[in-house]
This record gives sequence, structure tokens and C-alpha cells, in this order.
Amino acid sequence: MRNAALWFDKKLGLKEHSIAHYAWVIVGIAGVVQMVGAAIRMAFGVLVDPLVTAFGWSPGSIGLAYALMSIITALSSPIAGYLGNRYGARKTMAAGTVLFFIGMMWTSQTKEIWELYAAYGIVFGTSQALLLVPVVPAVAAWFRRHLGLGTGIMMVSWSLGPALVVQALAVLFNTVGWSQAFMIVGISGTATLAFILIFFKNTPEEAGRVAYGTRRNEKPLITSGNIFVSTQREFQGYVYKTNAFWNLINIHFLGCVGHAVILVGIIPLGISKGLGPLTAAGVLTTISIVSVITRFIAPVLSERLSAKTVMFIAFFGQGVGVFLLLTANSTLDFYIFAIVWAIPYGGEGTAFPVVNRQYYGHSPMGTTYGWQLLGAGLGMALGGALPGMVFDITGGYTWAIILSAVFSLAGAISIVLLDQSKRQLIPDWPEMETGAVTVGASASPARITTGSSPASGD
Amino acid sequence: MKLAAPNEPMNSGSPELDGFEIKNRPFLGYGLLMSSVIGTLAVLIYFGAWASTDRIENRALAAGITESQTEGEWWEDGLIFACPLH
Repeated sequence: MRNAALWFDKKLGLKEHSIAHYAWVIVGIAGVVQMVGAAIRMAFGVLVDPLVTAFGWSPGSIGLAYALMSIITALSSPIAGYLGNRYGARKTMAAGTVLFFIGMMWTSQTKEIWELYAAYGIVFGTSQALLLVPVVPAVAAWFRRHLGLGTGIMMVSWSLGPALVVQALAVLFNTVGWSQAFMIVGISGTATLAFILIFFKNTPEEAGRVAYGTRRNEKPLITSGNIFVSTQREFQGYVYKTNAFWNLINIHFLGCVGHAVILVGIIPLGISKGLGPLTAAGVLTTISIVSVITRFIAPVLSERLSAKTVMFIAFFGQGVGVFLLLTANSTLDFYIFAIVWAIPYGGEGTAFPVVNRQYYGHSPMGTTYGWQLLGAGLGMALGGALPGMVFDITGGYTWAIILSAVFSLAGAISIVLLDQSKRQLIPDWPEMETGAVTVGASASPARITTGSSPASGD
Repeated sequence: MKLAAPNEPMNSGSPELDGFEIKNRPFLGYGLLMSSVIGTLAVLIYFGAWASTDRIENRALAAGITESQTEGEWWEDGLIFACPLH
């Protein structure tokens, strides 16, 4: 037993970990931001029927608000990432919180369809980018090492948030009506975000601390000042010149088309195969719950093994797994699919922060990640539209399933063409020349140094 | 584990770029991204043209006329024109 414990300790490097570090507070805050931000977005389906009843709008025209929101979020993601790098994640998320409040209040008072498009589509859509894009690079800044663990814990909230809030929203809609429900969620969500942002710090240096995983002989990284701004611009120029930058946008787009088809189409597909609405909804819930496991494991394994390998397995599994749906006819078939497919699906998108770290070192990743989320957002919008479009034309979902597989497998092929993720593609982000990390010591840097080993990495 | 916040650095130099790929143009990355954009447009045009053909057929059937006599919407005609398979 003791030997087994020692083996795990050595294999997982448990001795290197400590729970008493402010980085975990940042991860917790990021998780809550993701839950509040993403949950309302994912819960849009609950809003459709009440709006049809209240105003007589068609489901299609209401769905257009969701599509508009997805596209606006996607298009504003690179800007949100840049703002996070330039002005700090905290200020950017504070702006996002203000827009979140305006978007939710305005949506709750909507009387005309154009107001829904403006309030939910544009204002709320922009708030999503400002809240969800800068938070991931900010977490990365708090981890000198073990980013996979931090990312994994944060990404779990992507699944848990919607699972909890969809139920709460459904109850609220039934008890107080859709308008008041939006007001309540808007006020409580804004209050939560405003409160937790008080404790949020953009970087360890800003908080007067060291990043998690920093070794005693290591110097702090440059995270502020004029030099930071000019160096960040210079390094972002290097990032744009790598194949991986463009290919990762492409890969995130392909993967998101692949799973959005299934996430949007699985309930109508199940119902068309004879499942009851509740049973079909249970398939989607099962996917959400099972995918939590790989949302956590994928970034951890990416850091331990190779992000490229983990991403390939996830994309390949997501692509091949959907073929189970071609022969699924019973409830058991659908639930087996949900469990089998959710495993690769959960690992599809969560390794991106880790692969960014492996390729670009400690260079601020806000803009880079924002561009990747542009690909993801456009992929989600397209993938969400495909099942309905294909059903209208063909009267079935077979082509939608095939397209889902094609997009995911194209993503897997693109991953094969990525550079080895153990090889850093741009120089190391500069450290302070003096002021090596010493507990309780004051740093007084005179100049910065830049590493240049192409093989360097954590 | 508290550390005093570092002061702003005084100067910097460009890093040594030898050994990195960043002096080249990222043709592979551009190419893969453009392939996806073109492939996606092809899928949308194919299914859009399919839907347009169906809509024109249905209108022709409802009016009791042939498809060639039916006026298509501008976007229906555009998609059918753009798709080599329809």
C-alpha cells in the first residue's frame, strides 16, 4: 500500500503541489465567471417557449437571437483577448459584467423582436467575450508550471454551470415568469461577478506573489509596464508567423462544428427515433456529466504527455464515435452513445491553453486564445445550424451525423500536421534580470533577459 | 509565499530568433485554415442548392407548372448557379 502511494506520488509529482496558494483562488474565481457567463448562454433553449407564448414570435426568429449572440461573441473574442493582455483581465471582465447586467435587464424588458436581437444578440454576446476570453489566459499567468491541473479544474465548470443553471432557470421561469427570471438572474449574476472580481488579481506579480510552480532560483516574469506592452506586441508578431497559430484556429473551428451538430441535434434525433422528450433530454444531460471527467483529465494529460497526442485522440474519438448514432434506435443505444462519445468530446477543447503554453511559453496568450475562440464560436454557430438545415432538406439527420464526423476527423488530420507540442516555437518570454524569486525578498530588476532555446519548455 | 511586486524593467533587447520557424511565412497554417473555409463554403453551397431545388420543385407542384416556369428567389438561383452538382 505504501509502495503504491509512493508510486503515485512519484508519477503525479504530488510533492510539488500545495493547496495553500492564491492561484487556486484565481482558478475558483475563473470557474465562477465561466459558470455565470456560460450558463445563461447554454440555457437559451429554456427561453424559447415562453417567448413564443408571450409574443407569438416563431421559434426560428427567436433562435436567430442565439445565432447572432454566438457570432457576436466569436467576432469580439480576439478584441476581448487583446484588451485582457493590454489592460488586464480584471478591467476587461469588469466591463463584461456591466454589459452582462445591461444585456440581461434589457432582455427582460424586451417587447419587440429587434430588441431581443440587440439586447441578447449584441450586448449580451459582447459581454460573453469580455467575460470568458480573458479569464483563461489570466489563469495561465498564475501557473509557471502545472497549468494543465489549473485548466482542468477550471474547465469542469463549463459542464457543471449549465447543468445547474438550466434547472434553476426552468424552475424560475415556471414560478415568476421569463421576464422576472431574467431580472433575478441578471441582478444575482452581476452581484456575484462584481463581488468575486474584488479578489481577482491579473498576475501574481500584481498581487505581490509568485506564480504557482515557480522554483526558488527562477526570476519573475515581466507582466506590466511599458516594456511589457512593447515586448508583448513583438512576441505576438512572432506568434502570428507560426503555422500552429493559424492551424489551431482551424482546429478549434472544426472540432466545434463536429460537436455542436450533436449537442444541438441529439434531442430531436432521439425523438425522431421514438425516444420521449425527457429521455432524449437525459441523453444530453448524460453527455454533460460524463464529459466532466475528460474536461479535467485532458489538460492534465496534455501537460504530462503531449497536447498534440491528447488532442488527436479526442478529435478522432469525437469523429468516429458519432457513427454509433447511425444505427442507434433504442434508448439503450442512445445512452451507450452518450457515455462513449462524451469521453473524447470532453477532451476536445480543454487542451488549448496547455498547447498554447507548450508552443508559446509564458508569452501572454490573451490575443492568441481570443483568435482560437473566434474559430470555436463560428464553429458552434455553424454546427448549431446544420442539424435543422439538414433535417429540413432531407427529412432526417443522417447527413448531419456524417458532416459532424467529417469536420471532427478533418480536425484530427489538421492536428497531425501541427508541430510537436514539446517544442517551443518562439523564444521564451523574458524574465527580470535581477530579483530572483526569494520568499519575502523585494525584487529590484534592472533589465530583462530573453531565453532563446527552441527546445526549452516546462 | 508573498513577493514584493517588481519594478518596471529598464530596457530590453530583441530575443535571438535563430532556431525558430518565425522567420518563414506560415503557408501550412494559412493553407489548412483556407481549406476549411473553402470546404465549409462548399458544404453550405451544396446543401443550400439542394434546399433551393426542393423549394422551387414544391412551388412548381403547388402551382401546377413546370420548374423552368417557376421564378426562383435571388438567393435560390445564386446557390443553384454556384453549385456544380445541382
